[in-house]
Parts: sequence; structure tokens; C-alpha cells
Amino acid sequence: MATTRSSMTGTEASQTAARVAERDLTVHETRIRMLSAGAGDPFLYLHDSGDLGRWAPWLSGLAGRYTVWRPDHPGFNASADGADIDSVHELAFFYLDLLDELGLDRVILAGAGLGGWLAADLATIEPERVSRLILAGARGIRTDERVPDIFLLSAAELAELTYHTDGARSAAREQAEQLADDPGRFERYLRNRSATAHLGWNPYLHDPKLPRRLHRATAPTLILWGAQDRLLPVRHARRWAELLPRTHVTVINDAGHLPLAEQPGASLQAIRNFCGES
Amino acid sequence: MQFFGFHLMPYPYLTDEHRGRPDSSWITLSNQNFDPRRGHELYQRYLRELVLYDEVGFDGVCVNEHHQTAYGLMPAPDVVAAVLIPQTRGKIAVLGNAISLRDHPLRVAEEIAMLDVISGGRIISGFVRGIGAEYQTFQLDPTQSRGRFHEAHDLIVEAWTRPGPFEWYGRHFKLRYVNPWPRPLQQPHPPVWSPSQGSAETVGWAARHRYTYLQTYSDIATLRRAFTEYREAAGRHGYTAAPAQLGWAAPVYLADTDEQARREAAPHLDYLFNTLLRMPRDMFFPPGYLTMASAPRVLGAKRGLGEGQNDLADLIERGYALVGSPATIRQQIEQYASELGFGIFCGICQFGSLGHEEFERSVRLFADGVIPALRPAGDGRA
Repeated sequence: MATTRSSMTGTEASQTAARVAERDLTVHETRIRMLSAGAGDPFLYLHDSGDLGRWAPWLSGLAGRYTVWRPDHPGFNASADGADIDSVHELAFFYLDLLDELGLDRVILAGAGLGGWLAADLATIEPERVSRLILAGARGIRTDERVPDIFLLSAAELAELTYHTDGARSAAREQAEQLADDPGRFERYLRNRSATAHLGWNPYLHDPKLPRRLHRATAPTLILWGAQDRLLPVRHARRWAELLPRTHVTVINDAGHLPLAEQPGASLQAIRNFCGES
Repeated sequence: MQFFGFHLMPYPYLTDEHRGRPDSSWITLSNQNFDPRRGHELYQRYLRELVLYDEVGFDGVCVNEHHQTAYGLMPAPDVVAAVLIPQTRGKIAVLGNAISLRDHPLRVAEEIAMLDVISGGRIISGFVRGIGAEYQTFQLDPTQSRGRFHEAHDLIVEAWTRPGPFEWYGRHFKLRYVNPWPRPLQQPHPPVWSPSQGSAETVGWAARHRYTYLQTYSDIATLRRAFTEYREAAGRHGYTAAPAQLGWAAPVYLADTDEQARREAAPHLDYLFNTLLRMPRDMFFPPGYLTMASAPRVLGAKRGLGEGQNDLADLIERGYALVGSPATIRQQIEQYASELGFGIFCGICQFGSLGHEEFERSVRLFADGVIPALRPAGDGRA
């Protein structure tokens, strides 16, 4: 673990609110883009498949207490392709290398959707690296309930299904319909979809072997779910709670698949309450 | 000019309820819409139609592979080729085993070699990736489509040509023993064709291997671009492309007059383009199926072929389909051939919901009024 190579050159760009640093970081020859902000205990957030690389405003709400790390996954947004990373399990090993690279022994680990799956997988490999685990609308496990195939949906259809409230839905739909007008944004969307397919095409966005390992993820875990999640219905939250050893489930009202984006106030409060407990 | 007769084996009995539906005739259209009893009669008829191409003087017949769709009833093209061997004398082109979709490329190497030996060396082996929707059919990662295609191709050709047993250690396939029996009769192996809708990557690949590149479903502008790219690529590889390396496949329908041909073809072209080919873009092109060099252009376009309502007059005008009297079709093919330099024409004479009588009349008009005029003396079949 001592032999990781790194380069921390690159642009330091200021983004919104919490003074966000942007830099390139190379871990074992794979270059990724890292956003970070704040000061305090390390908080690593692993993004969802549809995340187009923006610093989400709700992350700033944590930057007062934590050093928040928010990387683009290999193959997503402004990160380079991770050549041989062909599963979420492989990607989890990449993130263990990243923790070594950053010198972080132990983090609060959070993830949404695909990132939630990744966080849970990582926590089964080296549970001691994770002080708390936060899974929001996490992919990675399967129930008998048939879920929509995101790969057959257009960007606009996916936006409709992702959000619950009228305002969030129509705003997301409008953005999706204009996606091709912004070449950079459109390219990130296409790359992210391709990278997601490579990680989760078959089996469809889950790992059948993961449930047998989840007992190893012993950190206190918050399962955060949108009550009206139509991409991954709330039943999946209960299934996570059955499989993980120490869980607390918080269901957020008036939220779809991305409770942190759609109801940031209630979601942040749930995270603060969870992290305040000992 | 060599002439091939292409058959898609479409399912013609979708009701109005399905025509004009917003979704698709692929994957999600229930197979309860397929009636096996009518299917039996269809296969009998369609096989007779394929044999007719051979009888009236086409150089060969073409079959192809598609899955979970009313567009075509040939998920196993090698099966159709096998049925045709004793009933035909000319070439049989399997225009596209979708080798990326096969669990095991050696199965294709074996099947094509069998067909070639049984037929006495009459097989042409087309290799394709399979269309995007078929990565849903087999739940195969579309981002690996190109990699699997190239490795499967390399493995098949090597299995045909290199003395076995040998070891294969690739990214997608790892085999201790490659040693298929039988080997093909044609040496070093059956001719390989590369059918495509014109992706730059495929054109370049076909030119590099000196394979016959067959352009399907496109307007004349795309045809011109693809053939030009092929010739340029051939030049970069140090040779001049022969006409027999360039082919064009298009729906074609003939009647005594242009007006009659257009009137009779219209409902069946409509069924082909606006019902059978109907597919949402994200089904047609799943994530990673296209390279990032072409994805933004294709997926950012206002409308694709599988969406919305295609205007038939416009399609004919742009060359997506050839419809007219024998004289008109002869002039068009002759003019395009001299302008674009292709030496193979594949007529998709059966399309959409075309009935047998119209098909037979159209094919005989083509065989009598087009083929002899464009086939050089001494180039005819015995």
C-alpha cells in the first residue's frame, strides 16, 4: 500500500458556496478529478451514475464540520477511463487505493445510487476504514420487485422517473431535453451512461454475491431513501437493513430516487443526527 | 456487377394496434403476437422465395440474424443456410453472424465450416456486431461489443486457417485447445463480408482486412461517404479497392411502370420503415455501443431512422429504397455503380408485408430486365 504514485498538479478552481477545490489526482496510473471543501474529519462522497460532475449544494452543508471529498469515478465526467475496472467490486479496490493516496485511515463513507453500492462493497473489504456508512437510494442488491431499465430510457424519461415533486421533475426534464445543446454536458452524460453500463449491465445494477459479504460491513449505517423512489422502490431500503448488521433507516417524504438532491434539508438533518450519535 | 437476393423474413401480421405505436417492434413487443401456425406457412413461403432468387439467376442469396423482433424471423441464420444448401446452386451469404453476441466464437467457426464443406464451398461469411437492441436480448455489455467483435473475428479466422490445436489467450476468450473439425473447404477460408450502416470504424476495419464492405439502409450520400472512406483506407494500406469489395443492400421493388411500382410498394415500405424498424434511440444505440467519436453526433441528432414517421417519397428520393420500372431501376443501379464504384448489389426484394405474388413478379422483372444488362458478357452463371 505504500507504493502509490500521485500527482496533485492541476487547476484549483473555486466553485460555489463552500470554496471548493478542484484538482487532478492520479492513483495507480488512473487520473481522476477530485473536488473537495471544508475542514474536519474526512467525509468521502461517492456519486450516482447520473451525476454530471457538479459540486452538489447539499455537500456544502457538511463542509462546516468535515473535509468533504467528492471524486469523479474513473470513466465518469472529467476522470480518465479506468482501463481494467469492469465491476463495482474492482472499483471499490480503486477507492481503497485512493484512501491510501490521500492518507485517510478512516472516513465517513457516503454514496448515492451506484455510489451507494460502491460504498457498501468497499465497507465489506476493509470495514475498519469506515467509521460510518451512509447509503442513499443505493443500487447493488436485488429484490423480486421488477424495476425500470434505466438503459432503455431517454434522458428525459429518466429525469421524470428520478424525481418526485412537480418542480424537481419538470426542471430535470427540461434540462434533459436540452442536454444535446451543450456539447460538454452531453458528452459527460454519454460517458457516464457507458461507464455505468460497463459496471452494471449484467447482472442489472447489482451484485448477487454482495449479500453474502454484507455482514462484514460493521460500521453504523444510515439507509436514506426517498419515500416515492420509482427507480428503486423503498422496499430495497428494508432489504439493505436486513442484510447489513447495524442500520438505521430514514425514509424521506416527498422525494424520489435522489433524496439528497430533492429534499436536502431533511436529508442533511438525517445525516447530522446519524453522525452525532456515538 | 454481381447480384444477390436478400430476404429479411419479416413477420407481416402485426395489427394496426401495433402500427404507429410509440415504442418498438423489438424486445418489448410480446411474442404472443407471433402465431406459430401462420409462422409455419410463412417459413415455407419465405424459403421458396429465397430459392426463387437462385432459380432466376441471382449470383447468390443472403440471410441474416436478428433477435426478439417482428422485423425478421431468422435468429439462427446458419439454420436457414443449411436448409437452402440442397435447394440452390449459387452462393449463400450468411450476412451476419453476430459474432459479438455468441457465447463462443468457435461455434460460428464450426457452423460456417460445416456449411462450407456441405455446400461444396458456396458460403460467404458475414460478420456483424448485432444491432444495439440485441445487447438487451442477451444482456451483453454493449461497451464490450467492439472488443468482443474483433477478438471473435480474429479467433474464428485463426481457427479456420492455423493448424490446430493451438492455445488462445485473449481478453474475452481463453482457450487451451483451438482445433475445430471440420475445416472450411474454401481456402484459406470462406470470403468474409462486413455489412454495416456506415460507421467509420467498421469501414476502416473492412478495408484493412480487404473484406467486402456492404452498406445497408442508407441514403446515397452515406453510401458515397462510406465507399470513399473505404477506398481511402485501402490506399493507406497500400492497395486499390476492387468493385467486388464494395456492395450496396437496399429494398427494391419493380413493376411495369414507375407509378404502379410506387403504388404497390408503398404500404409495405411503410410497414418496413415505420413499423418493423421502429425503435427508440436508446434501444437502437445502448450505452457504449457507439464510440465517443460518433455517439454525440448520432445520439444528438434531431431524429433517427427508427423514430417518428418516415416519409416514403423522401426515402425513395434519397435512395433508401429503389422503386420503379425495370428501365428505371436498371438506370439507377448503373448510374450509381459507375459513380460510386460498387460491384455487388443486394436486392432486398422481400420487405415489410409484401405478398408472394408481388414479390415473385418483382424478382422476375429484376432478373429479366436488370441483371443481364449489368452483368458483363461471360460473367453469367452456368
